[in-house]
Amino acid sequence: MAVKPILTIVERDFKYFFRYKWWVAGMVSMNLADLFIMAVVYREMVNRNVIKDYFVFFAPGLTITALFAAAFMIGREINMEVRREISHYMLSLPIKRWELATGRVLAGGLRGIIYMAPLLATTLGITYFGTEGKIFPGPLEFLTILVTLFLVSLGTSGLSIALAVSTISFEKYITARGVVYYLLFFCSTVFYPIGLIERALPQLTLLARYNPLSCGADLSRAFLLRNPPFAPYMLIDIALYALIFVSVAMFAYMKVIQK
Amino acid sequence: MTSLRKVWVVAERDIKMFLRYKFLLIMRAIWFVSQIALFGLIVNHMFQTDVQAAVGGSYFNYYAAGIIIAMLYSTTVFIGYDIYEEADHGVVEYLLSVPVSRKELVLGRSVGGGLRSFLYVGPMMLFILYLIGISNPLQLLVALLSLFLFAFGVAGFSITLAVSIKSSDRFDILMGVIDALIVRLSTTLYPIAYMPPYYKGVALINPLTFAADFFRWGAGLESAASVPPILAAFGIVAFSSIFTFLGIVLHERRLEGGGWR
Repeated sequence: MAVKPILTIVERDFKYFFRYKWWVAGMVSMNLADLFIMAVVYREMVNRNVIKDYFVFFAPGLTITALFAAAFMIGREINMEVRREISHYMLSLPIKRWELATGRVLAGGLRGIIYMAPLLATTLGITYFGTEGKIFPGPLEFLTILVTLFLVSLGTSGLSIALAVSTISFEKYITARGVVYYLLFFCSTVFYPIGLIERALPQLTLLARYNPLSCGADLSRAFLLRNPPFAPYMLIDIALYALIFVSVAMFAYMKVIQK
Repeated sequence: MTSLRKVWVVAERDIKMFLRYKFLLIMRAIWFVSQIALFGLIVNHMFQTDVQAAVGGSYFNYYAAGIIIAMLYSTTVFIGYDIYEEADHGVVEYLLSVPVSRKELVLGRSVGGGLRSFLYVGPMMLFILYLIGISNPLQLLVALLSLFLFAFGVAGFSITLAVSIKSSDRFDILMGVIDALIVRLSTTLYPIAYMPPYYKGVALINPLTFAADFFRWGAGLESAASVPPILAAFGIVAFSSIFTFLGIVLHERRLEGGGWR
């Protein structure tokens, strides 16, 4: 297995990410405004019997949304490359198809992790100072959080690539992307606990419970807030999500760029 | 002498150009549906009973009315991006060559920028009004007229920033930051009563607060409004007058002598 060509592709995609200065700046300000304005105000409004401290509750959820949004960006670029036939240039590179596909998926995942890292550090601070027992995850727990987040990021990168290559119509892609993006966002436990979704929209409970964003957010909360308790299905769910979408994305990407 | 017909021709062109932003229009529409049908419905169950009372009985109605204003704002600011794109693609030279005066051109841009987003948000606004229920049609008409004025003001605001900042990257970043702050530091999502004191001051002078509260007043959610209707109406008129004027003056000045390059 040749690692160097994969790393070259990862490096290229990584550099491209920082070209979107406006996007990154917009996302950072949106994330910080959500946390330090919206969550602060909601904390005063939320029923304490439902969520004890919304600001502390929301911080791990925000980390997941940031990771998801950053990892999802790779799909937009790949859709543009397919439409403008830049993929022909990619095919002319002395790199095997599967190495190219692996590099793209991996780069998407790494983008998510790098973008999310400062937010995770902020979340660690918030949950440490915001919880009564000053909770801080142990080394193994912290490692589990990191592995989980990386798997979510990898799966999201795969999902966005699979969507991106499923159509060359920009409008169809944007519509599909919007539906998937917002459905996963709002039908998850990122913003509210599962009990609330059960009460408000019971028909969406199953989707919300097994949504990888929910599993990622709840797993982080399990180690950062000790609530909800850790359940092995969260890790299995995320591992399956990553495995399925990375495989689908690689297969679809290799097929589409050869057309 | 400014010809209204020529101003309309320019505005009409901007309205047609808006349809090019399929990406924006589709994403915004999906965002709106998910905000209302998912987020709005779920968070409605999250709040204390006193919050529900403070927002006029239903947080869902309060939130839905606010989302319309956030949507109107975020679609109207796109006129600024148009101005950058035209400068990049050499369209400004073409626009200056058409038999329309500078004043008519910039006035038309401002009118078109506001009108097109109002037309786009219109059906969603009607849907929200259907959900909330209209109690006083005359009051609603006044509120809609003021929202129209608000859209003009936002278009002028976006044009003012676009012509004041040379770099499109900086404009993008600034608009992103303003968008993140202006919506959250207003009463579009929550009432002023629950904001910490350090956010209240900004929220009280935020044009989105005026627009959201005046729209709620028009829709019959009077008790949910944090700002008295007279003050909100005055705020909208002041905001739109200042920024429409600034946008027109600065844009006109920039068009002279190739200032857009």
